[in-house]
Formats: sequence, C-alpha cells, structure tokens
Amino acid sequence: MPWYSGERGLTQLTGTIGAAVNDVRRVRRAWHWDTPRPHTWPAQGEVVPERASDLGWARQEPVRTIRFLIQHGLLLPFTKAMAHPKVEGREWVRELERPVIFAANHSSHADTSLILYALTDRARERTVVAAAADYWFKRPLLGNIVSLFLNTFPFSRTGGAQAQLHSSSQLLKSGWNLVLFPEGSRSIDGRIQEFKAGVGHLANETGTPVVPVHIRGAFRIMPKGQKFPVPGPARVRIGKPMAPQPAEGSRQFTARVEGAVRALADEPSQPDIQGTWIERWRALKPREPKYGE
Amino acid sequence: MARPGAVIEVDRNTPPVLFHFGEGVRLEKLPLGARIVYPPDPLEPIAHPERAIKRALAKPLEDDPLKSLLRRGMKLTIAFDDLSLPLPPMAAPDVRQLVMEEVIDMAAEAGVEDIHLIAALGLHRRMTADEIRHIVGDRIFSTFWPDRLYQHDGEDPEANVYIGKTAEGEDVTLHKRAAESDLVVYVNLTLVPMDGGHKSMSTGLATYRGIRAHHNVKTLLASRSYMNPPDSALHHSCIRQGQLIEDTVRVFHIETTVNNHAFPAIANFMQKRETDWTPRDQAMFLGMKQFTDLAPPAFKRNVFHAMRAPYGLTGVHAGQVDAVHEKTLEAVRNQISVRVEGQTDIVTLGVPYLGPYNVNAPMNPVLVVCMGIGYLFNFYRSKPVLRKGGVLILTHPCRYEFDAVQHPSYIDFYDEVLADTTDPMEIEAKYELRFAEDPWFRQLYRKSHAYHGAHPFYAWYWAAHAIDHAGDIIIVGGERDVVHRLGFKCATTLEDAFEMAEQTVGRYPSVTHLRMPPIMLCDVE
Repeated sequence: MPWYSGERGLTQLTGTIGAAVNDVRRVRRAWHWDTPRPHTWPAQGEVVPERASDLGWARQEPVRTIRFLIQHGLLLPFTKAMAHPKVEGREWVRELERPVIFAANHSSHADTSLILYALTDRARERTVVAAAADYWFKRPLLGNIVSLFLNTFPFSRTGGAQAQLHSSSQLLKSGWNLVLFPEGSRSIDGRIQEFKAGVGHLANETGTPVVPVHIRGAFRIMPKGQKFPVPGPARVRIGKPMAPQPAEGSRQFTARVEGAVRALADEPSQPDIQGTWIERWRALKPREPKYGE
Repeated sequence: MARPGAVIEVDRNTPPVLFHFGEGVRLEKLPLGARIVYPPDPLEPIAHPERAIKRALAKPLEDDPLKSLLRRGMKLTIAFDDLSLPLPPMAAPDVRQLVMEEVIDMAAEAGVEDIHLIAALGLHRRMTADEIRHIVGDRIFSTFWPDRLYQHDGEDPEANVYIGKTAEGEDVTLHKRAAESDLVVYVNLTLVPMDGGHKSMSTGLATYRGIRAHHNVKTLLASRSYMNPPDSALHHSCIRQGQLIEDTVRVFHIETTVNNHAFPAIANFMQKRETDWTPRDQAMFLGMKQFTDLAPPAFKRNVFHAMRAPYGLTGVHAGQVDAVHEKTLEAVRNQISVRVEGQTDIVTLGVPYLGPYNVNAPMNPVLVVCMGIGYLFNFYRSKPVLRKGGVLILTHPCRYEFDAVQHPSYIDFYDEVLADTTDPMEIEAKYELRFAEDPWFRQLYRKSHAYHGAHPFYAWYWAAHAIDHAGDIIIVGGERDVVHRLGFKCATTLEDAFEMAEQTVGRYPSVTHLRMPPIMLCDVE
C-alpha cells in the first residue's frame, strides 16, 4: 500500500501485516511446506538412511524446565481429570539406577500421557518417548510441539534395525529412559498386537532392562480415528524390569516381553511379573540421602 | 515438664471459658464459684519413635521377640485400628504406620510370603482408599493395596468364622483369615482407656453376632464407666471373648499411646487454658469465631475436618495382651487423669465438631447424643462428676443434618425409632434386630461407606447410663424440634439453661465445666 494513499496509523499497520502474511502463505503453498518430502527423492532412497534430527534441543535447558511446567500445569492434571488413572507398580520406576526401556501396549494417543502420569517425577524427567517419524514428524511444526510437551524423538518405523538403533541407543547411553510401543502402531480394536522384534534387539544390543507396562482403558478414551478424547477410567500396571538372558536372542526376548505385557492385562495381580510383595517392599525402601543433596 | 490437670474455681478475675459448639466456638461466663476442670498439658513425646518401636518388638512383655515368631512359610496377618482413632486424625506419619513398617520389615527379612493386612473395622464404615493410605502410609499402601491390604467385612459369611461361646454365653466370631493365621499381630492406638486390650480383636474383627454380646443396654448400664475397664461390664465381656480368641489363634499385641496434643497451630488456643491465652491466641479465637459465625456449614466442615493433630508418641508396648494393656492404660492415665473432688449438681460440656463416627461427615443429632451424653459424660473413674439426678448441660447447634452415605441407618433411626420412643431398653427390644438384618443397610455397609444398620442403636446405648443417671439434660443452642425428638430440653443461652436447671436441682447449685477436648479422665473422689 503506497504511503500517499491517504491511510495512516493502525489501518496502515494492519494492511502491511496482512500483506506480509499473504506473502508467507503464498510461498508455503507453492513449496509445500506442510507435506512430507516424497520418498522417491534420491536422498530418501539411500541404503544408509540420513541421520535424522533427534531433536536435541528438546532435552536441554530451558526447554526441560518449560516442559516440566507444561506437564505439571496442563498435561498431568488433564490426564487425571480425564482418566483418574490407577497406577500399580510405581515402585519399580521410583529409583532407577540405570536407563530402562518402557515397553507398553498401544491402543490410543492417550497411552503416552498415561505412561508419563504413571512415572515418578524423577523418572519422567529423564524419559523420552519414541514417536513414529513418518506420522508425528511429517509436519515439523507438529513434531516440535509434541516434542516440547512429551519429550518425543523421531523413531523410524521403516528404516530397518540400523535406523532404530542409531538414535535410540545414543539416548539410552546418555542416561535417558525410553518409552517404546513395540506393536508399531495403535491397535484398531484395542487388543494387543504382535510385538515387533525391535525392542528385544535394542535391549540386547545396549544391555538395557525392559520394564513391561500394560495400559487398560486408553482405547475407550481415544481409539484410533477419534479426534477428541472422552473421559473414562484407566489403569496403568508396571511390571518389574526384565533383563535379556545371556543366550537369549532378540526375538525370544521380545516374545518374553510381550508375554509379560499380556500377563499384566489379566485381572489378578501377577507376582511373577509385578514382583512378590517382598521385592516390591524392598523397591519402595526410602532412599538414603546422599552427601551433597 | 507438662503441668498436670487442674480444677479452677471461677472468681471475678477468671476469664470467660471456651465452649465447643459443633463446628464453632463460644466464650461463656460461668457463675462465681463454679469449677472448671482442665486436662493436663501434653506430655513430652518420645524423641525417636522408630527406636522405641524396635526396642518394644525386640523385648516384648511376657512374650518372645517378634523376630523369633516369624518364619518362612507361615501365614501372618496384621490387623490395625480404623480411622475412628485418634481424633482428630493424626498428622502423617501415623504411629500405626511406623509400627507396621517395622513389623513388615521383619517379615520380609524372615521371608514370610503369605502376609495380609486387615483394617479392623468391626461394624464401622469402610474407609476410602485415601483414608487407609493416610493410616498406613504410601509404602505399605503401594505394596499391599488392594489384594493383601483390605477391610474387615462383618457381614460376609465366607470371610468370618464362629469360634464358640464364653462361659457367660457370649458368642465369639472372628475374621476367617485371622482365625486361620499362624500369627496375628494387632497394631493398636489407644487414645482413651476404653480402647485396646482384648476389645481390639473381639470387636474389630468380629461380626454383629459377636459384638451384640456386649454392645447392649444391659451391659452398658452396668459399666460405671466404660472409660474405666476394671468397672466396666463391657470390658469384662470383651476379655472373656478375647481369651477364647487367644486360645484359637496366636496373637501378638502392639499398643501405642499418644499425648493429648489434639489441635494444630491454627487452633492452638483450644489446647490452652483461657488464663494462658496470649494476644495471639485471643486473635486466633476472634478470627475463628468470626469465621465459624459467617461461613456456610459445609465449608466450615471441610476446614475443620482437614485439621490434623500433631500427636506425639508417648509409649509403645508389645507382647502378651494383658501385660501390654496394663502398661498402655498406665500411660493413658498419666496423660489424661485429673483429680476432681466431689460430685456436682450441674455439669456443662461443649460438644466439638468431631466424634469417632463422623470423620469427614457432619455430626448428626444421634451422634451428638453419643458424643456428649455417651462419651464425654463417661470420662470418669469411680463415680460421675455429675451427682445422681443432676443436670447435664451441653452446647451444640444440633441440626437436622445427616450424611446419607455414611449414616443411612441413622436417618431411619431418627425418623422412625426416636419418633416412637427414646427409651434404650424399648428401642433395643423393638427395633435393633430389624435394622441389623435389613438387606439394604447390609448392602451399604458391605459395598459403600455406610455404618452397619445396628450402629445408631449402639450410639444411643452409649448414652443409656447418662440418661439414666441425669435428672435433666439440656442442649444449649440446639434446634428445638431436633432436641425435643431426642428427648431433651432446649435452651437458647447458657444463662437460660442454668435457670431451667435450678427447677430440677434447686437454688444455688454447684456447677462444674469439663473443658474437653483435649480429653481427660476425671478421677472423682
């Protein structure tokens, strides 16, 4: 708008901003900002996949503090109000001496919030969530926002074992717990699907214990295809950490983890998976304050 | 050093005295020459409760150390008192939690796999999960709830067993799990002399059939008073039942006592004698008085029921029940006994907002009777402070308000039974069994959070002795219709009540005010 048009002040400012926004919109549409890059592009077709962004910024200060505030002010109260989650076995994640992989069944977008709700503050603070790269990160803005809220990182479902191992093992080695949904995607009918061997592979390669987690009720809150959650009761049951046996292959270990998650789904408590009362009592022993704390 | 209890005579310089008035407070001027009985100051608590508990378990009274009784493969049951004790609920950690954690640590060390924890409710209401968590603490709750930590159900035919009859013909029943255990550890908190000892097991883990053997009008009329076990027919009956239980199952008793520090800092003036009130206490009183006068009842109730008492552990004893209970009673008496010389024509009492049966609920009119005329009147040894035929004056708003979840049978009791008669004997004969066997009350007791159908009857029977003893009972500030339904007289002010009382006891009566809570036991000479 020319300066001599006679319009001044707020009208002129609004007009200028409006024009700039229109320009940005036009460029965005022209260069397809919101769509994924086609798989046919040569860079995607490499045998060794491109080193994906692991969103390191989301695990640094001050983002961690901001996330803590968001989770305590918004996410956890909302989860509590929607699901009144009943958590069993929190003692197993109270005092984690080393990073673990949380392997849970997956039937809903609510699963992640429920798992984070079930963890203690100390464990939650050091936990990253594996989010499907081809689903959550095809829109960078969405991926970054989700990462800010839930501390997610892109987990490739298509790039093979190498791609999975690459970023996940780095995170585990640097002390982060990892939430994985070994079924690969959300269940269509709420039933547990077969676990993919990735979780066993990752645990075997990195020597990390796996904590089986079963979530009940999330499917009713927000099944696949539903856009908004509806309130409903949920239960999160956490089993005791499982370590791969020396001669155990990835597939056998995955099968064992899957069996544990399925057993946790049963109604009566499962001392084999959840621990005997003596084991749980010892796990709940108050922490001795350390010098310097 | 804590000051012992005191009896002060009102003179011109005596400040007005505090009267509890339900969820409120009042300051009242008593006539010159009246006596005010104050409880002792709180005793110094034990500095290291954990160490004291360890010591008690390692060196029990007339029993083997607990450690030597625990072995792999055994069935262990821990029973503990419910939320009716202490009052107000204790600030965390509750002493029962500290004791149970110690016992469970020992059991874990010994490799005891079969362990259950049972809240010994008797015919009280089921507690909510949060209420249980407050008593047992997070660690026990997370480990055992709900599979191995649960509440006694006196109406579950599958979960209770009949043990037999005592020499006096009292039926004895017990929770099945406890009866089948190799060892039962009973963790008790004794606030008043009525609690603990054999009564813990014989009422806490019994059914209606077992409890009605001593919770009846005849037994309670013969208990002078039930706050003094040697003179209490109720306790004699419980002892007979308890001995039969001890013949059936091995019981290891752990009893704890606390001081009478019943009010947190915000209500500390209630703990003090009026002559000791500092300007801060006076300001706190004024603040609370204005608040309780203006705030809606439900809001006031939430504030009052959120108060947690900073009780301190004064004793922990473990071992054989009689030896333990003797020591416990000694510790309780050290804390609450006050010597009072002679009886009096009029006794005044302020009824507070809380009794054993209305934790997190309003105090309904039947419970006002239970608390004021039942419990508070019976805090005596040898003889009541009130002379036979004297007048008992209580202050309480006594509104028609009931908690439909906790006290459904109380509503029917008030509307149906008290409309017919207030005579405990007649009530017992005519109505008790019908209420006790009512299927709906039974369902609410078992599955909801309701007191048993027979419970309002027991609340009324507690008052039988006082009703029989007093010439007149006047409730100051109560709703007229409600007080008349209860069978008492109603007065607007304390002065009016004294005027009315003079018609019964004559001119220039002697007056004694019992400044409770904190609780005390009047040793009347």
